[in-house]
Amino acid sequence: VLGLLYAVLDRDLKRVLAYSTIENVGVIFVALGLALAFRANGQNEGAAVALAAGLLHVLNHSWFKSLLFLGAGAVLHATGRRDLEGLGGLIHRMPRTAFFFLVGALAISALPPLNGFVSEWLLFQAVIAAPELPQAALQFAAPAIGALLALAAALAAACFVRVYGISFLGRPRSREAAQAHDVPLVQQVALGGLALLCVLGGLLGGVLAWGIAPVLRTLVDAALPSGQGPTPLSLVAFDPARSIYDAPILALFITISSLATAAIVHRVSERRTRRAPAWDCGFPDASPATQYTASSFAQPLRRVYGALAFAARDTVAMPPPGDPRPARLTVALVDHLWQVFYAAPGRAVLAVSLRLNVLQFLTIRRYLVLMFGALVILLSIAAVTT
Amino acid sequence: VTANLLVQFLAQGVQMTLVLLIAPLAVGVVRRVKAVLMRRQGAPLLQAYRDLVKLVRKEAIVAHSASWLFRTAPYLIFALTWVAAALVPSFASGLMFNWAADVVALVALLGAARALLALAGMDVGTSFGGIGSSREMMIATLAEPAMMLIVLTLAIAAGTTRLAGVADFFIAQPFTVRVSMALSLIALLIVALAENARIPVDNPITHLELTMVHEAMVLEYSGRHLALIEGASHLKLVLYFSLLVCLFAPFGMAPAAAGLGGWAIGLLAWVAKILLCAALLGVWEVSIAKMRVFRLPDFLGIAFVFGFIAILLAFLSRGVLA
Repeated sequence: VLGLLYAVLDRDLKRVLAYSTIENVGVIFVALGLALAFRANGQNEGAAVALAAGLLHVLNHSWFKSLLFLGAGAVLHATGRRDLEGLGGLIHRMPRTAFFFLVGALAISALPPLNGFVSEWLLFQAVIAAPELPQAALQFAAPAIGALLALAAALAAACFVRVYGISFLGRPRSREAAQAHDVPLVQQVALGGLALLCVLGGLLGGVLAWGIAPVLRTLVDAALPSGQGPTPLSLVAFDPARSIYDAPILALFITISSLATAAIVHRVSERRTRRAPAWDCGFPDASPATQYTASSFAQPLRRVYGALAFAARDTVAMPPPGDPRPARLTVALVDHLWQVFYAAPGRAVLAVSLRLNVLQFLTIRRYLVLMFGALVILLSIAAVTT
Repeated sequence: VTANLLVQFLAQGVQMTLVLLIAPLAVGVVRRVKAVLMRRQGAPLLQAYRDLVKLVRKEAIVAHSASWLFRTAPYLIFALTWVAAALVPSFASGLMFNWAADVVALVALLGAARALLALAGMDVGTSFGGIGSSREMMIATLAEPAMMLIVLTLAIAAGTTRLAGVADFFIAQPFTVRVSMALSLIALLIVALAENARIPVDNPITHLELTMVHEAMVLEYSGRHLALIEGASHLKLVLYFSLLVCLFAPFGMAPAAAGLGGWAIGLLAWVAKILLCAALLGVWEVSIAKMRVFRLPDFLGIAFVFGFIAILLAFLSRGVLA
């Protein structure tokens, strides 16, 4: 969750992706931890579900994260920029890359029927089974884990809507973005292949679960009941009566209903479409600077979560009336992780070395005394230990 | 088996059509009740249908800066919401979708529709689209986890994540008041208000920039695209009504093995319950005022905390401490 909060607030495309990896690795470790807990209590079925969630998430993450990093690379190649504030409107200039990146962004947000959702679904099934664990500590921990997982999934969606909406949608925010060209065919094929894997991985979760069954059997003596669902491709956790996710059927219904809707609407509607300037509540401004930026998109999230996680404070410096200078909004963030794990040891080392710095400027006599003292201490230690 | 699948497929189709047909009526009831309570004349009950037809007939205007995403998103949003609405058992619990996907998938489908809508809102590149998308996603990061906790609580209580299984479980159970259920109900009501952009979270009839959320995202849409998005939001309202009555008042619903007679009773009960919900929503909306956007985290935080307490209680009642 914390990784995602960093990702939501960051403005660099690749750094956002790197921060979201923290979240995904966290998800994998939650799955592995649950698998161990189930296994330790002899509940092999639960362990199989949790372990399958972890393994599939490793696989899925490797697909969509590669896709997104390659996509970010394509954006960098085409525009020379990674900061979200300078991008925008790339969907017009790089239509194919934009489509593949969209697949990756939706997959990483754990949205059905793509592959990120398959592992997420299995993990929730494992969390639901956790009341059967005997340890009281786990009884309290598991709902908290479920809550944090749900929060992480929702934040991931917000994060990637922001990334995609700011970089690919809207109007270009810089000259480079306005003149971008789509990447060469080879790169598009690579992106397309990974996007296809994300879609197939989402549809064929049942097959993948069957594929990793030997691994599961070796590790936890149980596997997902594959092939027992109502259709051969459904993904089943524990028992067909308990939980089924049938992505092909779901995808089929989504496809049928969207095509039917399109067909019916096009038949009865006035089919004309007119291109016109944007409406924007009657007061459109031609400048692309009037669009929502990456920072402004993150502002509500910063206000809701940032105050707690980063001690975020906004200060507005308003010039006095009549002064033509622009008002400035400053955001102060405190990175607690940095403070505790990096800055504090750094400060401690600095303090100690400043103290010891005195030793550098002693006279030769004092050095000799120090050496003698050290020798005596070392010899006495050697005498005591032997 | 194939014939059985086909029958299930058709029954599912009937249910999807019914959900689609009743949705604008429910919206009409909400508006009518509000109008009557405010001592206005109000629009006729069927006005929502007429609005949709009018919008479909009008030509669609698309901004110069809009991409293909802007034009395809309404169809996908509508389809995703429609399938999600069909996932909730309405009059009978033994339909096809009772095994094709579960409550976790339901929450995720709605999440997919919302993500697409937020993206479509940012596509044209106007400030209003951005403000709507940004606020919608902020609300979603609070409402979606709460929703997930609620459905997991119910799934733990019923021992299955299949919605129909949960409904069957509550039909079979004698009526008892449980703390975790009561907390889930309150939390689900709050989430439902937030997700459907109703007062006090959002106001469906305003175009005032300080308060708009949902309307800001769809500001650039017109004609058939707008009709689809409006239709999707009507469907979502009926979805939440169905979910509420399916989980907390499932009486009358036809069980898995019921024949046509059982289905008829279930259908009548379902329609009555949906219309009652719509009327109650109308009363609720008249009696309170819209909240400031940044007071929403507190309001939705209540839902999240209630959901968390509910799932904790569900864990404890199922686990060793019971």
